[in-house]
Amino acid sequence: MTKTINSNTREIALGILMEIVEKNNFSHQVLNRTLGQYQALEKQDRAFITRLCEGTIERLITLDFIINIYSNVKVNKMKPLIRNLLRMSVYQLRYMNQVPDSAACNEAVKLAKKKGFASLSGFVNGVLRNIIRNPEKVIFPEEAKEPVKFLSVNYSVPEWMVNHLLSQYEYSVVKAMFDSSFEDKKTSIRCNLNQIEPKDLKVSLEKSGVKVEEGTFLPFAFQISEYNFLEQLEPFLQGQFLVQDESSMLVGVIAGVKQGDYVIDVCAAPGGKALHIAELLQGSGHVDSRDVSDRKVALIHDNIKRLKLNNITTKVQDAMKLEEESIGKADLVIADLPCSGLGIIGKKPDIKYNMTKEKITQLVQVQRDILNNVQNYVKPDGILIFSTCTVNKEENIENVRWFLEHFHFQLESIEDMVPEALRNKTTKEGYLQLIPGIHDSDGFFIARLKKCK
Amino acid sequence: MAIRNIRTIGDTTLTKKSKEITEITPKIKVLIEDMLDTMYEAQGVGLAAPQVGILKRLVVIDVSAEGDSPIILINPVIEETSGEQTGEEGCLSVPGKSGTVTRPNYAKVTALNENMEEITVEGTELLARALCHEIDHLDGVLYVEKVIGGLHKVGEDD
Repeated sequence: MTKTINSNTREIALGILMEIVEKNNFSHQVLNRTLGQYQALEKQDRAFITRLCEGTIERLITLDFIINIYSNVKVNKMKPLIRNLLRMSVYQLRYMNQVPDSAACNEAVKLAKKKGFASLSGFVNGVLRNIIRNPEKVIFPEEAKEPVKFLSVNYSVPEWMVNHLLSQYEYSVVKAMFDSSFEDKKTSIRCNLNQIEPKDLKVSLEKSGVKVEEGTFLPFAFQISEYNFLEQLEPFLQGQFLVQDESSMLVGVIAGVKQGDYVIDVCAAPGGKALHIAELLQGSGHVDSRDVSDRKVALIHDNIKRLKLNNITTKVQDAMKLEEESIGKADLVIADLPCSGLGIIGKKPDIKYNMTKEKITQLVQVQRDILNNVQNYVKPDGILIFSTCTVNKEENIENVRWFLEHFHFQLESIEDMVPEALRNKTTKEGYLQLIPGIHDSDGFFIARLKKCK
Repeated sequence: MAIRNIRTIGDTTLTKKSKEITEITPKIKVLIEDMLDTMYEAQGVGLAAPQVGILKRLVVIDVSAEGDSPIILINPVIEETSGEQTGEEGCLSVPGKSGTVTRPNYAKVTALNENMEEITVEGTELLARALCHEIDHLDGVLYVEKVIGGLHKVGEDD
């Protein structure tokens, strides 16, 4: 065998893009799997591939808009390989300052030839050279004249989604949401208070070279950055913290559990909320964390072991199917349900292109079916917490209203439970909608529902 | 000590199955030395006996950057593999070309060393790839049969 040749980073990135864009696979899964296969890659090559793929996906609509200005053949008529090659090359030209324009262009031409499109390498060269030479041709839609087009092209969000959000929120709120989706994402962690005080965790993380900042709302939350392998940090191995967004920690906060409570989390994986509640129970009571598949339940199990909690168990149980033994048993039911994910498009940009109006309609129904089922588990006077990671009102407050019409529950104020910064009219009523860009967190919805006697 | 000629693709020796080695003769000792010299001279990381025209189950491998850690395997058998890696592979018998091949990311091989003592070699990543590639030669298999998406010229992408 000959010495292995350094695989071309751009070629790997192109392969990843093809998998994500043309075959509708999840970007983080494809990226992790592919980078896992190329063990021999240098660290900076991995970083380059990750940035190039994530950036191209995040800006897909914007990139297509630019390419269509310069190319006579529109993006959707191009051969898939050529279209994705152009997208990632234009991303390098417009958004990666460290890549020289000539390199982005030459590499694209070589890659077109290598992939068997020698006849189209001239076309690739032409389009890219034209973009480099005449950057002034790119004129984005005017915000004042065409606000929907402007938001769509500028923030790479499909027009139907822009319209959908504009029908529910003010223009400025929607814009702030989109703006925040491009901000650097830090990792939020929750300190495991059973093991360590927040201030000690901060010290021990900093010792490992991690940059640690305070959380936005909660005293036991931190935002960390500048680490290499989170899973190899000593405090992680010791189970001293868990990765969880602050918005999701609020579920534990407003659950208001009492010592000895019996809690069911019906869609628990990877377990952040269930584990938080087990921690709050301080070893008393019991948390029954469930999810639909072995694989998901295994995720919860790993975290339980690491955090060394003994009042929490796992179970494979489909939230859509009634489990008779649990009827009327739970002091608290956590229902963090499947949703459109419009609150986390910054972290998972694929959502912008994969979600459809039809899928949203289906999700609204799935949530209703699950709520209909799991409300049975709540004791009289017990609590049901309903949450999602979307900002779409149909899946949130409108589903709460539907629920209240059909079942004997009422909203209960969370005013005294939420951090002061988050108190508003709706928290008094019993629910909270977090909006990225307005609140410094993911988009998230929580409602506290009490079962009447 | 001699550099032997490396047979290239098209030579029928490369498609034949090799025979087990039953004893270390002086001829075999010389063959081992020559194969190591030939591999290092060609800047390869592995060479199988059929590549120098000898249909015997013998391979030499050295994946170290310094070229000072030769592994000599007589009658090697892959006992265990796991995982997956996809990457560029080239072969001294297919000069100037390379292609993408998916291989196990881990391989465990049992074999005899140059003193006919049983040894076990375990490897991940490049060593796992080299073990699989060279042992394939002993069964008349070239990596070109396993390439995903065609061969290309080396250097074209760099």
